[in-house]
Amino acid sequence: MGLQWCLSSTLKLSPLSILRPISQSTKIPLRRSLLVRALSAATVPTTIASAITPDDYRVVKAPQWKAAIDFKWIRENKEAVAANVKNRNFNANIDLVVELYDKLMNVQKEVEGLRAERNVVANRMKGKLEPSERQKLVEEGKNLKERLVTLEGDLLKLTDELQQEAQCVPNMTHPDVPVGGEDCSTIRKMVGKPREFSFFVKDHVQLGKDLNIFDFDAAAEVSGSKFYYLKNEAVMLELGLINWAVSEVMKRGFTPLTTPEIVRSSVVEKCGFQPRGTNTQVYSIEGSDQCLIGTAEIPVGGIHMDSIIPELSLPLKYVAFSHCFRTEAGAAGAATRGLYRVHQFSKVEMFILCRPEESNSFHKELIEIEEDLFSSLGLHFKTLDMATEDLGAPAYRKFDVEAWMPGLGRYGEISSASNCTDYQSRRLGIRYRPESSVPPKKGKGSSASTQFVHTLNATACAVPRMIVCLLENYQQQDGSVVIPEPLRPFMGGLEIITPKSK
Amino acid sequence: MKGKLEPSERQKLVEEGKNLKERLVTLEEDLLNLTDELQQEAQCVPNMTHPDVPVGGEDCSSIRKMVGKASEFSFSVKDHVQLGKDLNIFDFDAAAEVSGSKFYYLKNEAVMLEMGLINWAVSEVMKRGFTPLITPEIVRSSVVEKCGFQPRGTNTQVYSIEGSDQCLIGTAEIPVGGIHMDSIIPESSLPLKYVAFSHCFRTEAGAAGAATRGLYRVHQFSKVEMFILCRPEESNSFHEELIEIEEELFSSLGLHFKTIDMATQDLGAPAYRKFDVEAWMPGLGRYGEISSASNCTDYQSRRLGIRYRPESSIPPKKGKGSSTPTRFVHTLNATACAVPRMIICLLENYQQEDGSVVIPEPLRRFMGGLEIITPKIQIRC
Repeated sequence: MGLQWCLSSTLKLSPLSILRPISQSTKIPLRRSLLVRALSAATVPTTIASAITPDDYRVVKAPQWKAAIDFKWIRENKEAVAANVKNRNFNANIDLVVELYDKLMNVQKEVEGLRAERNVVANRMKGKLEPSERQKLVEEGKNLKERLVTLEGDLLKLTDELQQEAQCVPNMTHPDVPVGGEDCSTIRKMVGKPREFSFFVKDHVQLGKDLNIFDFDAAAEVSGSKFYYLKNEAVMLELGLINWAVSEVMKRGFTPLTTPEIVRSSVVEKCGFQPRGTNTQVYSIEGSDQCLIGTAEIPVGGIHMDSIIPELSLPLKYVAFSHCFRTEAGAAGAATRGLYRVHQFSKVEMFILCRPEESNSFHKELIEIEEDLFSSLGLHFKTLDMATEDLGAPAYRKFDVEAWMPGLGRYGEISSASNCTDYQSRRLGIRYRPESSVPPKKGKGSSASTQFVHTLNATACAVPRMIVCLLENYQQQDGSVVIPEPLRPFMGGLEIITPKSK
Repeated sequence: MKGKLEPSERQKLVEEGKNLKERLVTLEEDLLNLTDELQQEAQCVPNMTHPDVPVGGEDCSSIRKMVGKASEFSFSVKDHVQLGKDLNIFDFDAAAEVSGSKFYYLKNEAVMLEMGLINWAVSEVMKRGFTPLITPEIVRSSVVEKCGFQPRGTNTQVYSIEGSDQCLIGTAEIPVGGIHMDSIIPESSLPLKYVAFSHCFRTEAGAAGAATRGLYRVHQFSKVEMFILCRPEESNSFHEELIEIEEELFSSLGLHFKTIDMATQDLGAPAYRKFDVEAWMPGLGRYGEISSASNCTDYQSRRLGIRYRPESSIPPKKGKGSSTPTRFVHTLNATACAVPRMIICLLENYQQEDGSVVIPEPLRRFMGGLEIITPKIQIRC
């Protein structure tokens, strides 16, 4: 097997998302039950550790981090927010959010009032006073202090409750998004058409078996179901796809990255995923607060966590390669054979941070890149504008690409492009400072206030699904598989995978 | 008791039978306990050692080979962390926030370096007749144990998955060893030679000390691993073959290194003999391990249950299996390329005075022809 590899084009340097099975697109109501109402909402940050007492099922667990949610905006747009929640089939309680917010504001005001009074008392005590006057002031001070302590306690509790409720609220929705379940999703674009075969087509499992390029049985013994070894030309296919995808996206001005695959669970939550819900898609590491990533979206989102980016730096465009790990809990059904739904896979992901007014156009740019990539490989696919019930929590709008898989006899999702607007950035704390219209004095920072960036993510290449597509679409009658031309330079010039006698 | 008996005789036999059964139950339990105790004690026994291996601690390890020599610099050398910072190709700080210490992002040319090194290493080893593999990185903890690692000891190197009996692999040796678990391989299939690419995860618990800066000791990294299953009489020569492949690979990149025959206290449990390669890292000012090649003889195969059936000298009847008894294979493993350590070597050895880094010739075509990494003026990103 003396095959050479190369990346033929000069890699110019200048600058998963979520495939359907991941938890944010699971219908949230399934995970809710009365007992865990207080704990299991869409992006509740708390760990579901201790038991809930029956007569206090709304136990408030202090969230470990706070999302910078615009409560005022929710209040001012209550009807629209509630309608959106309904369209998405979420369980968020907007009335409660507003109620808690109002309460919080009132307590806040009271607290400020009390603090002011306390200052007055403290100041008066600085002067010369009669003992009886002083005594009265001391008692007043003490009284104020006690009331303050109580109110401040209430403030903390209310803040936590508000966070917990508000974090359940999904992102708003682009006005053009169809309302309803998955049958309401609309087709934005259709590229190519199903290839006609003059022979009986095989699925990728059978093709892989005949070509001796997969091993599912050994993987089931070593690791469990939905794991696999790639062998021989499948290894070259994986490495070729990754190199090609990174190379192609780099050409379009994205900065290449490889990322950690173990991250703190708080980062997972801030991106809109549920590390510890039932049916969570997320693997956790024993004895630590860390998890395995299900997509590079998470560590890339985390890079600029709690930062203020200069406006000049935007947009930031990354193309990240990582392995992804998903439990696929709750994903039963027919399409779990072979590579279609697996626990571990390689993915090349695009991620953009930009100014709010640009996110819609970057969303279009991302889906165009995907469509270019998949067209160039000769795939037949359709791009869908996903309906409201399939958006999950973070996405304002989501385009999925489903490619024709002749062996499966249906379309299968190969990529997803989401515009998350400021949903993730408010949780991750990613802001930018707009350039002030007044030229700043040299050396002085601009005093324009910061705003939240918008984030977008899109799958450039999810390797196993691409392997399914390529094998099934490019199979020949004798069981061999032709390699589409753009991949060949990344596979040492390999043109065809042939069955071997063994 | 099947025959015709007098009632009193029958009664005696019944009692005898009952008595025997009780004693059996007790003894069978003893058997189970003893088996477990024996396993427990015996599994602590490390592999035997090749007679040429030096006895003692790490200072007793002997140098088998020295290749090249330390390059001389006419300027003050930087370490890979400084070089990486100036070239804007690493991010340790963001990784510490997102994941914790000893994690990192690779950016820009470092991504090309990682991908180039992997492609090059797999390609080079495939040329030498190894079958390429990509493996699971989550495995059952029993497989980890059978390879000679300790998933649940204190200071374990192994990450476990919560709520399951699975772990993350620290090396592709584990899932590759597992492929032929509980199997009998026909002798004509041997040797089986694999080159496996995987990410590796290590807790590095208990590894304190100076050399934890930058990429030298990290929790996650890419590695290309060679693995051989062979007949016992061939393992010593395959061990030589593996170390030669490694030495060729590292020489071809122009590295200066020494190959060490590791002394007995540094072998660990599975290795009969172990050769480590330590390459010169001018920024660190010392040699650093970049690979390890072990002959595990039958230590792993006895635990993983990997046997082969020798061809019988009597030609078997057509259609009938040979009746020669099976034997355990020998297994060997060797690092073709541990990416972060290689990145350190390349950056530190090939640095230029202006902070740029030359790419050694064999890697260039795996990096789109890139010849040199240069510092850039940039808006940090």
